[in-house]
Amino acid sequence: MNRRVGLIVASVAFAGAVALSVLTIGERRGLAETKRPPLIATDGEAALRPWGRYADPSWPRTDFSKFNTLADGTVSPPAPKEPRKLSAPVAGDAINGQKLVADRSRGGSCLACHVMGPAGAADLPGDVGPDLSEIGNAGRDDEWLLNYVYDARVYNAETVMPPWGTHGVFDEREISDIVAFLKTLKAPARFNTEVDNPAKRPVPVETRDNLDPLENPGMWAIDRAPTLWQLRGPSGSSCATCHDQSDSMFKTWAATMPKWEPRLGKVLGVEEFVARHARATTGSNWPMESDENTALAVYLRYLANDAPIAVDITSAPAKEAYERGKALAARKIGQLNFACVDCHTSEKSGLRWIRGQWLGEFRGQLDHFPTWRTSRQSTWDIRKRFQWCAVAIGSNELPPDAPEYGDLELYIAALNAGLKLNVPGIRH
Amino acid sequence: MKRNIALWRRSNAGARASGTANPTTRREVLASSFMIATIALVGQRSALADLPAATAEVEKFSMGRKAVPGRITIGLPEIAENGNSVPLAVVVDSPMTPEDHVTEVLLIADRNPRPVIATFRFTPMMGRAQASTRIRLAATQNVIVLANTSVGGLLIGQRPVKVTIGGCGG
Amino acid sequence: MIEKPRIKLPKETKRAEIFQIKTLVSHPMENGLRRDKDGAMIPRKIINSFTCEFNGRPVFSCDLDTAVAANPYLEFAARIEQSGTFRFTWRDDDGSTITADETVTVVP
Repeated sequence: MNRRVGLIVASVAFAGAVALSVLTIGERRGLAETKRPPLIATDGEAALRPWGRYADPSWPRTDFSKFNTLADGTVSPPAPKEPRKLSAPVAGDAINGQKLVADRSRGGSCLACHVMGPAGAADLPGDVGPDLSEIGNAGRDDEWLLNYVYDARVYNAETVMPPWGTHGVFDEREISDIVAFLKTLKAPARFNTEVDNPAKRPVPVETRDNLDPLENPGMWAIDRAPTLWQLRGPSGSSCATCHDQSDSMFKTWAATMPKWEPRLGKVLGVEEFVARHARATTGSNWPMESDENTALAVYLRYLANDAPIAVDITSAPAKEAYERGKALAARKIGQLNFACVDCHTSEKSGLRWIRGQWLGEFRGQLDHFPTWRTSRQSTWDIRKRFQWCAVAIGSNELPPDAPEYGDLELYIAALNAGLKLNVPGIRH
Repeated sequence: MKRNIALWRRSNAGARASGTANPTTRREVLASSFMIATIALVGQRSALADLPAATAEVEKFSMGRKAVPGRITIGLPEIAENGNSVPLAVVVDSPMTPEDHVTEVLLIADRNPRPVIATFRFTPMMGRAQASTRIRLAATQNVIVLANTSVGGLLIGQRPVKVTIGGCGG
Repeated sequence: MIEKPRIKLPKETKRAEIFQIKTLVSHPMENGLRRDKDGAMIPRKIINSFTCEFNGRPVFSCDLDTAVAANPYLEFAARIEQSGTFRFTWRDDDGSTITADETVTVVP
């Protein structure tokens, strides 16, 4: 099966290369600028198959098959229909509970979202959820507390609170310990320093100059990409054979992506386009998430820097893709049961602190992708960012060329319409 | 402890007046007097005395001298966005003349697995005792900067920095 | 160290006027504390030294340890009396070096 696919891909590439080779350079350039759709490899995948999680040890190795992903199908355990009844008060170990609420290996810990009195002596608690420092005096009985931690959906179907019990992050004994600890919280939090208080913490403002090569190592992609542009692939041609980087079309092209691609029945972003277009023309094999693909994805947007993002969502299939993307952004996934909108809209928990990190809204998050990440010392494109969010909240990531990611990217790009590209970004 | 400090002051008075240093006589008393000064300097949450590796590096560099605060300015964000790349700027108030200039500058992260970050070597050709870099910090901690001057002086500065803890792991 | 080091400094300067030199070199600065995907420790390999000389005389140098971030950035002040060449040298644990030269002209 792989050999047959490979043969078809090779024939398409060869055919494309033969077609190109009989043209003069001028004719090839003209071809590049006509209204005909650009050549793309329509079979095969644009990313490695079988898809496996990145080998970098900073990506959790856990298999999260038991929980929803952005792909269709519901595998996550269902929410309980009603709260569990307690026959006796909770008898838990509050000391262990205090350890558990701070345990970052378990879904970020409670402190990711809640200020919690003396446990707030830990650095930088978040404020996605209410301050629980006085929950022990709030008139909540043990049954309510236990059910809220176990699965808050029995009280609030719209909750952002992860279902710690139903999804098996904590077992019943541990939840009893957490409840026992919550019952001890009866005094307002005292913070070690002012910035530990999320209400007083200054919201980070990005002031770095994306395009300063001394500031942003991501700019090394701009050095590499022109070499890749000139590199002859197996067909004997290079990007330069048909394209001059200074052509006016590049001044806006990347800002119009991602785009619905009828020949594939999916939304194509810049990275997937590069993989498929290179394969069909020069024969170069630059799958998504390869160094070459990322460098060119940075470069193509860099050429369109300052162009306002302007993606098409007016054609019928693009409109449908937009609506699918919108639904995907609201889909709860993972062991922590989060949807994109839970963290990235102000209607839910956006514009708040999750532990020491500020959660931004969708708009303003795309114009600087791909971005150099100082925490990773590498450049991430938006698909890798989607994949990381998936894994971080306990769901299996999809391959970077998943159609769901295309729909989601189109939806987010539409929300970023009008913002000027400023690539490569530099962010934490 | 008090007696040791008195001894140190007597033996040091002459040395300070002449602008020279004699490490041998003062090494015995360095620990107590230096650490008192540093503990007062460093916030109470992380007394340097509790951090033996960092303390050892500070003592080695100090060679028995008393460190003078107030002339080193450390630029660090109040909250670092992550511990992997934190911008650090150091400026030392010094004329940077051939007669009086900063020579070595020791950068310490008091809770890193290896406390010494780097050692800068300055010369009068810099014109200003100023350098910057980007560092890794394993956790919220203090950055301590010690500087030697060509006239035998020892300067100190320190600054706390919070390292952001990620919500979902970043 | 695949990429060329980045160096930013003025092409011209007034005599004895202080200016900034900014440098960035591509290097993972492997600190010896990380594990690879199979759990084995990745050995330490860092740039351990940087020197800047002007017309052969030391200006600024630095011994780096593992807490200097990957892609080491070093910025410092400089002041020259006559035109000449700055030579920048980065040395890796394995003994290899990267060198770059930049000329600066003193204008009245």
